[in-house]
Amino acid sequence: MITDIFTVAWKELREMLIFGDPRGRSKFSLLIVIGVFGVFIPLQNGSDWVTSPISIAVWAWMPFIWVSSIVADSFAGERERHTLESLLATRLSDRAILFGKLLAALVYGVVLTWIVLLVSLVTINIGFGGQGLILFPFEVTLGAFVFSILISGLSASIGVLVSLRTASVRQAQQWMSTGMLLLFLPFMLVRYIPQEWLELVDGALANTGPLFIGVGLAVILFVVETILIAIAMRLFQRSKLILD
Amino acid sequence: MMQERQDTMNAIQTNQLTRSFGDLKAVDRLTLEIPRGTVFGFLGPNGSGKTTTIRLLLGLLDAEEGTAQVLGFDTRKQADEVRVRCGALLEYHGLYERLSAADNLDYYGQIWHMSKADREKRIRELLEPLDLFKRRDEPIGRWSRGMKQKLAVARTLMHCPELVFLDEPTAGLDPVASAALRDDLASLVAQEGVTIFLTTHNLAEAEKLCTQVGVINHGQLLAVGSPADLRARTSAPRLYIAGRGFTSQIVEGLRGNALIARVQQHKGELIVDLNDLTRSHEIVTQLTGAGVQIDEVRKEKAGLEEVFLRLVDEEKQGEE
Repeated sequence: MITDIFTVAWKELREMLIFGDPRGRSKFSLLIVIGVFGVFIPLQNGSDWVTSPISIAVWAWMPFIWVSSIVADSFAGERERHTLESLLATRLSDRAILFGKLLAALVYGVVLTWIVLLVSLVTINIGFGGQGLILFPFEVTLGAFVFSILISGLSASIGVLVSLRTASVRQAQQWMSTGMLLLFLPFMLVRYIPQEWLELVDGALANTGPLFIGVGLAVILFVVETILIAIAMRLFQRSKLILD
Repeated sequence: MMQERQDTMNAIQTNQLTRSFGDLKAVDRLTLEIPRGTVFGFLGPNGSGKTTTIRLLLGLLDAEEGTAQVLGFDTRKQADEVRVRCGALLEYHGLYERLSAADNLDYYGQIWHMSKADREKRIRELLEPLDLFKRRDEPIGRWSRGMKQKLAVARTLMHCPELVFLDEPTAGLDPVASAALRDDLASLVAQEGVTIFLTTHNLAEAEKLCTQVGVINHGQLLAVGSPADLRARTSAPRLYIAGRGFTSQIVEGLRGNALIARVQQHKGELIVDLNDLTRSHEIVTQLTGAGVQIDEVRKEKAGLEEVFLRLVDEEKQGEE
């Protein structure tokens, strides 16, 4: 099955990387992303970039958006372009197709994140590295490694789930955008939370320490993704996909 | 896990296979036996249950009642084993339009675990006779529908399947492209020697390609046999009589003749379905005796198209 997963994933990645995204956006849009987040913004931030909240957002938040921009196409796009039924009529198992699509979206998000971070390091060192090599601190490197995978995985599993159940790519993208708004909602509602509650949370977080918070978040993300993938596996029924 | 395979000479065997969508019985108690090596044409009008039958046989849909075995495997319990050994060109060609022709075939070759060398060899083997090999590196998005359809047929054969399902392979093509694809299909079929299950409502296609045909309408199998058998079984010999003076009285007089099964007038010709072709001279005598001036008399057996229309017509009358 592993070979089959790689076969599906490789074909998906080839289409994404060689031809751009399925909505016809140029493959050069990737270069723009790398240019903005790997060169322009780091230059604006200077050597503080390696510890700046924006660099954290690049590995902790941007993978979600990058993956969500392509994952809606995974099943809805195949259905829209009438390629899904032919794929379902092959020898590939349900799991090989599902995990192949998931893997392609995950790899896209992770590799793009790591490329952006590497380019940003090169940029910072060329622009501001006169007093020695500038690197991300160890915690940031570890966080970037773990969370780029987990956040890309979260976006990929939500996207595949949505894409399985929607008739068109546009509809899948609308659902993904709504989902993203819901994820932002808690941040928008922070101002309505009583100050004393916020102070309580703040105190608790300060006492807990960043490592514990990071591990806790990683475990929560992993559990959520596992549940989402389990649901997607249940929903992946050839007969349903064909008749939908 | 080793899957048990039934030893059978039949590529396809169904027994009372039934599938409904709401109140509509898409496939209704279908019982079929298709021997290996046969090119089987499944004829029926749009919505008659042809595509649903293919989906059931490939294990893409579950049957509500009845059983189906494809290449000795139960389509319900061993659908994966069925799909490993089959190739399918379904309602849509299902090609990836941004990939090149070679990439499309290569992807399907990889799906079937073919080695790189085997894939390259097979791509040449399939595309050369179809005149597509020189264009194998072009993205197929701008290709004509006929070329895409040819490529889709090649993709179906890529992994040398034992059984191939072709769902209306020439649908939507212009007559020239259809004829060209039919020729290509005929030579590929001869060359590959596989069992073919082909659905169509194009009867010329079935006559050209198929050794056995089945006629389906409203999910029910109306007849099955070789095209010649079906013609013999369901169609009377026919006389086409051109001339002048076919009054309604004369036509009514013919209808009373026990030799005649049916009489119709079409574009000044009288079309007479006979019960016994050897006594056709008696009809001519009757007409000339009644004062008809006969210019031409042709004897013909009905084509598959007429057989098909008659079967569908008989089914309709049966329902009424």
